[in-house]
Amino acid sequence: MESPETPVFSHEDRASWQARLAVIAVVAALAALAARMSHEAVPVLGAVLIAALVPRQHGWTVRVPLAAMAGLLALFVVRMWPDVAEVADATATSPEGGHILSWMIALPILGALAVLVLPRQAEGAQRGLTLVVMLTTLGMSLKLLSVSMGRGFHFDENVAWIPRFGIHYHVAVDGISLWLLILTTVITPIATYASFGSIHARIKEWCFSLLVLQCGMLGSFVAMDLFLFYVFWELMLIPMYVMIGVWGGSSRIKSAIKFFLYTMFGSVLMLGAILYLAYDYARVSGGPPSFDYFELQRVLLPLHVQGWLWAGFTLAFVIKVPMFPLHTWLPDAHTEAPTAGSVILAAVMLKMGTYGYLRFSMGLFPEMSAAWAPNLAGVAVLGGIIYGALCAWKQDDAKRLIAYSSVAHLGYVMLGLFALTAASIEGSVIQMVNHGVSTGMLFLLFGVIYDRRHTRQLNDFGGLARPMPVYAALFVVATLASIGVPGTNGFVGEFMIITGTFASNMLGHFNGVQATGAAIGVILGAIYMLMVVQKMFFGPVSEKNAKQHDLTARELLSVAPLAMLIFIIGLFPNVFLSQIKGAAARVKDDFDSRIENNPPPMFYEGPTKLMPRRPEAPQPATAAAAPH
Amino acid sequence: MPSLFPVNDYALIAVILGMPLLGAFVNGVWGKRLGEPAVKLMALAAIGTSFLASVVTFFALKGTVAADGEAKLVWSAWEWMHTTGGKNGVSVPIDVRFSIDQLSGVMMLIITGVGFLIHVYATSYMAKDEGYARFFAYMNLFVFSMLVLVLADSLPLLFVGWEGVGLCSYLLIGFWYQTSANAEAGKKAFIANRIGDFGLLCAMFLLVRYTGALDWHGISNGAASLLNPGEGARVHVWPLGGGQYTGLLHFLQPKSPVTISAATAVTLALLLGCTGKSAQIPLYVWLPDAMAGPTPVSALIHAATMVTAGVYLICRLSFVFVLSPFTMMVIAVVGAATALLAATIAAVQNDIKKVLAYSTVSQLGFMFLGVGVGAFTAGFFHVFTHAFFKACLFLGAGSVIHAMHARIHDGNASQDVRNMGGLRKWMPLTHWTFAAATLAIIGLPFTSGFFSKDEILYRAYVDHTVNPMPGLASRPHGGVFEPPQWLGPVLYWVAWTAATLTAFYMVRLYLLTFWGEFKGWVVGRPSMLGWPAHHGGAKGEHHEEDLSQPGYAPHESPWQMTVPLIVLATFSLGAGVLNPGFGIERQPMEHWLEPVFHAASEKAVLFGHGNDAVWAADMMWKLAAISFLAFAIGTAIAWWMYIPSRGEPARRMAEASPGLYRLVLDKWRIDELYEATVLAAVDSLAETSAWVDQAIVDGLFARLTTLLVGISGTLLRAFQNGVVHVYAAFMVAGLAAIGWFFTVPHPAATVVDAGNDDYVVTAAPGIGYAYRWDADGDGRWDHEGFEQGDTTLKLHVEPGKTMLVRLEVQNAFGLVRAKKIHVVARPQAPISSL
Repeated sequence: MESPETPVFSHEDRASWQARLAVIAVVAALAALAARMSHEAVPVLGAVLIAALVPRQHGWTVRVPLAAMAGLLALFVVRMWPDVAEVADATATSPEGGHILSWMIALPILGALAVLVLPRQAEGAQRGLTLVVMLTTLGMSLKLLSVSMGRGFHFDENVAWIPRFGIHYHVAVDGISLWLLILTTVITPIATYASFGSIHARIKEWCFSLLVLQCGMLGSFVAMDLFLFYVFWELMLIPMYVMIGVWGGSSRIKSAIKFFLYTMFGSVLMLGAILYLAYDYARVSGGPPSFDYFELQRVLLPLHVQGWLWAGFTLAFVIKVPMFPLHTWLPDAHTEAPTAGSVILAAVMLKMGTYGYLRFSMGLFPEMSAAWAPNLAGVAVLGGIIYGALCAWKQDDAKRLIAYSSVAHLGYVMLGLFALTAASIEGSVIQMVNHGVSTGMLFLLFGVIYDRRHTRQLNDFGGLARPMPVYAALFVVATLASIGVPGTNGFVGEFMIITGTFASNMLGHFNGVQATGAAIGVILGAIYMLMVVQKMFFGPVSEKNAKQHDLTARELLSVAPLAMLIFIIGLFPNVFLSQIKGAAARVKDDFDSRIENNPPPMFYEGPTKLMPRRPEAPQPATAAAAPH
Repeated sequence: MPSLFPVNDYALIAVILGMPLLGAFVNGVWGKRLGEPAVKLMALAAIGTSFLASVVTFFALKGTVAADGEAKLVWSAWEWMHTTGGKNGVSVPIDVRFSIDQLSGVMMLIITGVGFLIHVYATSYMAKDEGYARFFAYMNLFVFSMLVLVLADSLPLLFVGWEGVGLCSYLLIGFWYQTSANAEAGKKAFIANRIGDFGLLCAMFLLVRYTGALDWHGISNGAASLLNPGEGARVHVWPLGGGQYTGLLHFLQPKSPVTISAATAVTLALLLGCTGKSAQIPLYVWLPDAMAGPTPVSALIHAATMVTAGVYLICRLSFVFVLSPFTMMVIAVVGAATALLAATIAAVQNDIKKVLAYSTVSQLGFMFLGVGVGAFTAGFFHVFTHAFFKACLFLGAGSVIHAMHARIHDGNASQDVRNMGGLRKWMPLTHWTFAAATLAIIGLPFTSGFFSKDEILYRAYVDHTVNPMPGLASRPHGGVFEPPQWLGPVLYWVAWTAATLTAFYMVRLYLLTFWGEFKGWVVGRPSMLGWPAHHGGAKGEHHEEDLSQPGYAPHESPWQMTVPLIVLATFSLGAGVLNPGFGIERQPMEHWLEPVFHAASEKAVLFGHGNDAVWAADMMWKLAAISFLAFAIGTAIAWWMYIPSRGEPARRMAEASPGLYRLVLDKWRIDELYEATVLAAVDSLAETSAWVDQAIVDGLFARLTTLLVGISGTLLRAFQNGVVHVYAAFMVAGLAAIGWFFTVPHPAATVVDAGNDDYVVTAAPGIGYAYRWDADGDGRWDHEGFEQGDTTLKLHVEPGKTMLVRLEVQNAFGLVRAKKIHVVARPQAPISSL
């Protein structure tokens, strides 16, 4: 680790300058060559060069990975640019074979098993293997981008698992889960890599937990069979419980149990609802039960039955989100969790709740969702956006503060879902990704200073901008994203949600009040986040803080991709929205077609019946696919 | 040239915008390694290129003015995002598209031109500051954001610049962040601006819903629907959002709902945004504190450019604002009130930058007054002239502070006019330019400030804003509020008073700074003194000097600082020729801007007295004479007070009413008022929320449930005591309970809808049960005896009717229990065929 006393350039550095110049020349030559080959190469190489030149106090071990990240992200933007992507889609038929989704789920589990058989002393091998597995998963998830998502589901795999109960192994991805999957595969390696700097005990168990956690998260986002979804949903819970309970702070056990019980309470009710729904399907269809999402979507239940099932699902999801008043587990869990745990919890696991509400509560029970949307939107605004922000303002503990800010941010996401306009759903999905990126980055950055000072109290800091300028700059960037300054990612989501909310007719006559309330959150966000910046970085610097050194190579490399993503999403949101758009429109059409036929306030009270399959649902599994 | 940059794809805008951004990036990332000369070169080259490109663009724009006055250069960068809007929820694209028309062309020149001068000035002013590169990175970023603000072709893109300038302002106010007060002032500015941004966000969602567009062209096409009651564009204020208050809340229900037109809602929301950015009542409080930043920042951001963004936005969306005469009246009233309030405060301040800060607030009030009465050109012309003379004043003040810093290192003391005086001897260039700018701001005839301010005062008196769509008035809810006739004269006299005070406080400031005796330190003879030890403009170095020892005389600033002063002073004096008013034929500015404002002001802004043009022309010279009096009176009083009487009358007045004096000196304690009311309310709300969250929400859902589980566990554990007698006793009790359960019959029935309003009631089976029914609920059993097989009953119930059925069950022991069953037929639910 470098200390601030080390001179930036030593003699050896000077001696190797010529070698470096040679490297630059080679790179430039390659760049020129590549530029001739493809018009894509110019922005990519530009990004590579700039990223290689930016870091001030670090050597090539930082510059090269940073340049690689910048290059890959630039390539990603160029390739995914909406016009380009559409043209490519028209010419090439999209290959969707290869069981990518299954491999993405299987690989972390296989990796976890491999970590188990490695000798305990071989910590380096365990770490390396974990990262390799995660990066491979990331690489595979990028393969999903080769397909233009449109309105439908892709990479569909449907194999009978327990045919007697109609349970299938059914995975598929659409425009909504696509970015959440990629968010997961991006965030986990980052959090893992960062954690190797601060976690030094029980590395084997740590790696195992992380890999199992990743498997659970990826599986939950792609499962299209409710039973399978439940399995992954619970699988995800255990490693996080262990991570908080083993590597957490001083009162970790209490927080871990609280986290577990809250989540478990919701999931058990959801399990009951799933079982009822599956057997109701069997009763109505006269065949075997089914846990298949697209089949269960056909079930039209009378409102009073739907209410109970909807409540079972929704309770599980709003606890996970979390929405007021079921949010108090979150600050405790975040405070005690190790940095990587906080990052993954905030960035990905909370999205499970919002994703679940969008996919399952709204997809399976549109009438009940519509009936409750105005009230829940009120809760999202008052209890989430405003109350969450006010609570955040009064926290002295930085991690608690960021946790409450999550409550506020996810209030926006939920509001967008309740409002159910094309823009607000798209905004919600992009806001899920945004929150993952910016809050993940905030937790990572706070972990940096926590590792140095071992305190979370804001009042212990102050004046850090002087000893740690790069850290301060990156923290300010994350703050700006968090408060939604336009040009960063936070604005895109908030703007689409707020304008979409006011255009909504789901919320009765309260759409104006709710849009205004959401806009007030913008002020409150600035108040509490600027307070953090003020307390941490400005003012006179105390002696303890003055000796802190700036970001290490590991810290810089783990934060950098998120910082880049903040601007990429903020400036080129269409790259992301173009994939979400179709799926959001499909969700809205599915929803509206049910509501139009069963309008409020009665909705539907007749006997349970089966509707036709939705047009965009993938083909049902053929009989041949199911083993007899 | 035209082929290289076509009108619809004018890519030179990318250069205008890109250069400052490049400068910001280079200086921000590599500045420390580049060193001062390279940083300076980068920053100046960036703004300089941008300025040159702006000049080229301006002439290109001039060349494209069509016969109808339309001129627009457009550059579409890329598609940004989209949202849902319009009446039918269509997708509204939001692109990164920039456009330049006459209005933004002028703003662009001001920003890059004045910006360049201030950058030149700052290269010397900020020399030897350790944050040199950071300073220029922020400054370049600011220029970039400000250019985005004025060149944006849609409201969301304008918002990027709008927040961007707020952010740069935040960073620059807190530039010397190690002093908590500076960082605190930056935060205050950002949050006050954010309150304004909240208004802008609200305006955006209203606009996108009612007009279905957010770009200027689309908004102007859809603007009529903001006022057209036929399209439901009414915003319900009370009851909130519409609806009815019933039950306990019934007392809140008004006799008739309070609604405003969407036009009023949109414009009031926009106005909130403008008051935040342009420091008007109620959000002006941040600007005086913003003077904590370096002086060039005060000149560029907090005087010449950023704070005029509010006025720019009103001008830009003038066609929306005129739809609501009510909002126009509010703008004018806010402007006049702010002009007066800030002028009173400025009259007693002693800090040179504070005086100028309040003067800025006051002048912005004049601009608001101008646009509020519909004189958009006049208001905007004042933006233009103000940029020159206020930048000149601030830079002059910076030059003075720079000189004072040679020996007074305390930030507050070096800016206190009571330590200055007599500087005209030593700083001739600063003195003359400051004097020129002072003359301009106080409205000496034929300086720029005279023409722009006089026009505003005149139009405030004679203009009258009316409903631009009088045809709507006959329709229900079509009535539109129009300001009363007496408002014009009232606004005029308020503004006149403010103008008098302006003359007073500016002349006072000028005299205290440059005339009289120097009071900073004892000036010794150069031959007696050593080489000056400290010679930098940078703050943050604290070593106190003994000021009673003789020292060098205050020095004139280097050429990098004086040349911009001279240029700005020249413009302050001469820029008035661009729009001299007074019925003179040649009005280049008005002519240039007319196409932008014509559509808006044509129908909505009339002369008073029933659009009496003769009367208005008649008033012109009378009002000009009265306005001249404001200048003369203010100047004369200040002269008399501070030169012949040496400030004695001011001291006596302060002593005569010390309470009032302290109140005004403390800025009418508006900050304290806010702190005691709004801020305290929000603060205690937050405290309460945080407490409720821990004590009640967490207590209820986490601790109480834990407690209940714990208590039941403790209770149940008491039975598990391992004593066999106790277990046996429980077994006996349990067996007895089961026995009793089986000896008693349990009547139960389920009702099944058999369709056609027929229902089947089925009794639950049981061992040895026999049943008898009372199907019509009249109290008589259908059969007296119990029958074993009589388990079902068929009924026909009309929709909406209720039928009472009674059931009695007898078991094998002869015990009988009865049950009442209500069979209710629902009204038929509307189930459409699927």
